[in-house]
Amino acid sequence: MQSKFSNGTARITRLGRRGCDLLEALGRAGIFLFQSAIGVPSREGWRLWLQQMHFVGVLSLAIVLVSGLFIGMVLALQGYTILVDFGAEQALGQMVALSLLRELAPVVAALLFAGRAGSALTAEIGLMKATEQLTSMEMIGVDPLRRVVAPRLWAGFVSLPLLTVGFSVVGIWGGYLVGVEWLGVFEGSYWSNMQANVAFINDVGNGMIKSAVFALVVTWIAVFQGYDLVPTSEGISRATTRTVVYSSLAVLGLDFMLTAVMFGGL
Amino acid sequence: MTDAPFIEIEDLYFSRGEHEIFRGVNMTIPRGKVTAIMGPSGTGKTTLLKLIGGQLTPERGRIVIDGQDVHQLSRKALFALRKRMGMLFQSGALFSDLDVFENVAFPLRVHTDLPNAMVRDLVLLKLQAVGLRGARLLTPAELSGGMARRVALARAVALDPELILYDEPFVGQDPISMGVLVQLIKRLNQALQLTSVVVSHDIKETLSIADYLYLIADGQVVAHGTPQTLDTNQDPRVSQFIHGEPDGPVPFHYPAEAFYRDILGEPPMTKTG
Repeated sequence: MQSKFSNGTARITRLGRRGCDLLEALGRAGIFLFQSAIGVPSREGWRLWLQQMHFVGVLSLAIVLVSGLFIGMVLALQGYTILVDFGAEQALGQMVALSLLRELAPVVAALLFAGRAGSALTAEIGLMKATEQLTSMEMIGVDPLRRVVAPRLWAGFVSLPLLTVGFSVVGIWGGYLVGVEWLGVFEGSYWSNMQANVAFINDVGNGMIKSAVFALVVTWIAVFQGYDLVPTSEGISRATTRTVVYSSLAVLGLDFMLTAVMFGGL
Repeated sequence: MTDAPFIEIEDLYFSRGEHEIFRGVNMTIPRGKVTAIMGPSGTGKTTLLKLIGGQLTPERGRIVIDGQDVHQLSRKALFALRKRMGMLFQSGALFSDLDVFENVAFPLRVHTDLPNAMVRDLVLLKLQAVGLRGARLLTPAELSGGMARRVALARAVALDPELILYDEPFVGQDPISMGVLVQLIKRLNQALQLTSVVVSHDIKETLSIADYLYLIADGQVVAHGTPQTLDTNQDPRVSQFIHGEPDGPVPFHYPAEAFYRDILGEPPMTKTG
């Protein structure tokens, strides 16, 4: 009885400690975000930001666009086989566009971004920490939060929404290739149904809001995991994994909540 | 120049987890002199430098640099103070995305508005002093450990700081560059009236350049004085360290249970070092 009781308290103690650790980490991450993202960039800051836009954004372009193309093509193919049973294949354009703009482009682009750019950010900053580059920068009198972290954060915030736009555009084009060029849906109805049924604010706008939220969360997680990791090779590998896992879960969870708020009333 | 000490460390306490590293350390580091901090490995010498640089916060006590309490400063003021310091890291800690030239130029570029031609001249002067002017286009990955440390030294003095913290400057240097480095540290100190703090356990080299020595062990200062007074110090802990004797009050072994019991596997089989 005695041991069962002490086992129970030990478990509760552990749970409590985990809770405290979690809260503390959240607090650290919040202060970290505030200290690095707030502030006016210098001319050098703009240059560093542009450099990071290349690494984080431009280099993710290929994987995002190719995935967008395939997803658009698959959507059209799947959509067509269902719609054609009801004789409603002329609604294909609307279906492809709405699925992409509202859901798939923001979510899939964010997941790909976490895997391609987020993990790289974590590993890069983590290695800089492990080799004392961040410490030596501090001792030179340069704040690594402003010099290393801020350009990467802002590059992530800006590039993911842009990548999402690219994803949607290429996806809609992929849907056109399969639906119109291959399966023979009338081109006029593909485009005009899309034009008539996609609302700029409700569909495009909400999709972009989702994407902006995902950009914030994924980049924040990636950069913080790199900055906060245990500076060993094992620590870097764990933090990189954590970045991908946490970002993916956060994106999918937030997507549900945002969808419920944005489209739940319809 | 005043005679007030450059750094004052008062009643410093610091621990990592359960492990107490400093238990009431007091030190006075004079202005314009080379002060060496010595002690067996694992006594927290590097930690002490990080405390002086404001990267770690002590549990108790304070560190005052040129009249400013390091751990009471705002983030901005701390970074301003750090511009007046240079630190040489044990690993060199060069920026891996920049070549040797740009690494040394980094402090000049971020803290001054000097024209490029002048930055170039200054960087080449500093690289010449450490004998690596010819290596300016190499990346840090192409340097040996000793070379990386010399580049890091050039970077640490790029802004002509008032204080330089050297973390194990002599480790991994061949005899030639060791001699040059010893001279360099001494010359920098004399020519620029720098205050230097050298953390090391290379006794011969350190004794040859230090004006004043602190010996730390067990989280406290066990002795301090000029090299001459320490050389003749009768404290067995001091003489064991200064003369490099394996037997004495300072144990060579990390704390562990008795050797024969560990080997023969008598219980308890605890995890030891």
